[in-house]
Amino acid sequence: MNFALSDDHRMLRDSARAFLDEEVNLQPLLKRGATVEQVDYLGMWGKIAELGWPSLIVPEAYQGLGMSCLDLAMILQEMGRALLPCPISGALAGVWSILKGGSEAQKERLLPMAVTGDLKLALAVCDADGTCDGPASDARATADGDDWRLNGSKAFVVDAAAADMIVVAAENGGRRGLYLVDATAAGVEIELLRWRDTTRQLCNVRFANASAELIAADDAEIWPWIKDRLLLVLSAENAGGLQKVLEMSTEYAKQRMAFGRPIGANQAIKHGLAETFGLVECSNAAVLYAAWMLSEAQPSASLAATMAKAYTSDAYRKATHQNIQVFGAIGFTWEMTNHLYFKRARANAEMLGGTAELRSHVIDLLMREAA
Amino acid sequence: MDFDLPKDDDPRRLDVRAWFERHPNPTGRELFAAGYVVPHWPRPWGLDADTELQLIIDDEIKRAGLPAPSSVNPVAINNCAQSLLTHGTPEQQARFLPPALSYEEGWCMLFSEPSGGSDLGGLRTSAQREGDHYVVRGQKIWTSNAHTSKIGVLVARTDPTASKHAGLSQFLIDMDAPGVTVRPIQDMTGAAHEYNEVFLDDVRVPADRLLGKEGEGWRLSNLQLQTERAALSKPGAVWGQGPSARDLVKALIQTGHIDDPGVRDEAAQLYIEGELLRLLAYRALTDRMNATPSGPEAAVRKMLAAPHGQRLLDLAKRVQGQGGLVEGEEIFPLPNESRHLFDNWDYAFWFSPAVTLGVGTQEILKNVLGERLLGLPRDVDPTAKGPWIDTQRPELKPAN
Ligand SMILES: Cc1cc2nc3c(=O)[nH]c(=O)nc-3n(C[C@H](O)[C@H](O)[C@H](O)COP(=O)(O)OP(=O)(O)OC[C@H]3O[C@@H](n4cnc5c(N)ncnc54)[C@H](O)[C@@H]3O)c2cc1C
Repeated sequence: MNFALSDDHRMLRDSARAFLDEEVNLQPLLKRGATVEQVDYLGMWGKIAELGWPSLIVPEAYQGLGMSCLDLAMILQEMGRALLPCPISGALAGVWSILKGGSEAQKERLLPMAVTGDLKLALAVCDADGTCDGPASDARATADGDDWRLNGSKAFVVDAAAADMIVVAAENGGRRGLYLVDATAAGVEIELLRWRDTTRQLCNVRFANASAELIAADDAEIWPWIKDRLLLVLSAENAGGLQKVLEMSTEYAKQRMAFGRPIGANQAIKHGLAETFGLVECSNAAVLYAAWMLSEAQPSASLAATMAKAYTSDAYRKATHQNIQVFGAIGFTWEMTNHLYFKRARANAEMLGGTAELRSHVIDLLMREAA
Repeated sequence: MDFDLPKDDDPRRLDVRAWFERHPNPTGRELFAAGYVVPHWPRPWGLDADTELQLIIDDEIKRAGLPAPSSVNPVAINNCAQSLLTHGTPEQQARFLPPALSYEEGWCMLFSEPSGGSDLGGLRTSAQREGDHYVVRGQKIWTSNAHTSKIGVLVARTDPTASKHAGLSQFLIDMDAPGVTVRPIQDMTGAAHEYNEVFLDDVRVPADRLLGKEGEGWRLSNLQLQTERAALSKPGAVWGQGPSARDLVKALIQTGHIDDPGVRDEAAQLYIEGELLRLLAYRALTDRMNATPSGPEAAVRKMLAAPHGQRLLDLAKRVQGQGGLVEGEEIFPLPNESRHLFDNWDYAFWFSPAVTLGVGTQEILKNVLGERLLGLPRDVDPTAKGPWIDTQRPELKPAN
């Protein structure tokens, strides 16, 4: 056992940070009405594809780098820190879906294209009521000879508008399965949501007899595996953003003067930031632990991922609010990045289950263990 | 990064377990000779143990039904004795370490005074050099275990003309020396005799009982408060001992209280926090193995662990309703292997207000964290500069 980061992991993290510091400029987003289009959403995809990020989690057999969730977590934290506007979350979700659910032929056909960045994927799993666990679904699949047809809709789909192909969780005969549609095919309609977190694109997708390819007829064993990884993605983003927000508040508290001294000399501020430091420490531990558990396919990996998402979500929400309070009125303006972090925190906290739901699931898992 | 804990059939574990089978009721001296009291210390005191071996030894001590060494002689083992390795003379090491680490001489910490505990640097007890002795005059308070200790780690002022922090020195004094009077203080739990007042009236302390050099008292005291050993086995609610969040969830499941949605949500939060604190404790251990010195990071864990413990004991008490208010009733299941007073949920709850006071109050910890880790400006201390003695005369107090 060794609870310290290895030098390799440190290097991976540092090089990701250096790249993102250089490349990500959120300035154009700091205007009411601006969207990810203004911050080179798709251009950024090309740049990270050059770095090989889309290939990290793809096994070498499909021309990927075959790295682990722990390796990935190093980069995810930095993406969260930078609020990287880029359709990578959807791409990861899509790749995991095909990796876990697809046939050998499908993997051989699709994954090498995902690796080079030529194929952008997304995963449509949530329904309009916010649930995502199946087996019910607002989208239905029906057989049409060897082909499949999708009807209905999916909601809150991350990065669907940027995707070339979308993996859709649709119901057929009481089971929920995974189906692949071409995002530009007839009968696929993608509507951008006015998502409060403007560093990301979320969409509703409607299907009208859209032609689809079967990935897996029953996702009951597949979806939980994917979901644990998506919980890790959100947790790692949360932890990275949390760290950044603490740095922002601390720096400001040292510089902003009131009553003849820096505001950070006051205990109300100082102690609040000390508490946030505690949240950062725990969030990092939660993320690394979950990432390691997933990498090692440990039996409690699901518990660890659920705990990480629940903990980091609360922590991130709290710290991003504090980050507005510490800045005073300037922190409440659209022209500062404070609100981008606040909104990212609020959004991440609700995606794939709010904290109350996740915590209830933690107790379920513990009761199952105890029984 | 590797979170794997040593397995049940780890050969080193089997060795340690075999030792405990051969020594079912080991004396402190036997435990010390085996290196099990401070395994992470260098030889001959410990085993130079790495993190895994330490965890194994901790587990096996617990498994053998023995109390953790750190709870038997906490002041020596958690806080102070390690200073002898770095600042003690070879004679001091030979005189004090073996009996302390064999549980034969209990130690206590003579730091806090009636005039204040947080502002340790402002203490008033004096130690004046007279020939080959120091003569100590003053009063200490809140001294845990003073009544059962042979050795007191004393911080006293050797130079009143130096600034408040620079004029302090540390001594290892005999608690049975003439002039030392110990009086018990009844704490609010009403159950145990936890702490004491200690009066020091012209106590003659041989000069070779000075630890380190004159003027090093402030640094040593701070180091000792930080080196408190990572509470390994479980993040117990009371300074690492007593019930943990895992025990709480188990008990709430057993009693059915978990079916209340509010309780369920709080319990899950506490469980998650408890697991994360466990990870931080392991990481601190790894850091020490990697020779990263324990610094203000220890304050982070204490800042998180103390209120976590209070909240978990609070929930345990609340679910009992009025029944939890009757003295002597223990209607909540005890953790399996209870051998310490803190393992009693009821006692632990009534004790819990102390955990954000002792070993640095919550407020002081947040100051330390904010100032040393985040680099925020220091709190104002008008008494920090100039000769300490001047700050004691109101008419001469520096005007801020
Ligand atoms: C169970 C128990 C066992 C103990 N055992 C020992 C022992 O063995 N040896 C020993 O020497 N001491 C011991 N102590 C004493 C302990 O170290 C002190 O209680 C502690 O340092 C606080 O000092 P005080 O009680 O004088 O409170 P004070 O220092 O008077 O503080 C009172 C309150 O003011 C707050 N405060 C003080 N300064 C500041 C500041 N700058 N900013 C914000 N808030 C501030 C404190 O946080 C606290 O809430 C023990 C205490 C307890 C409860």
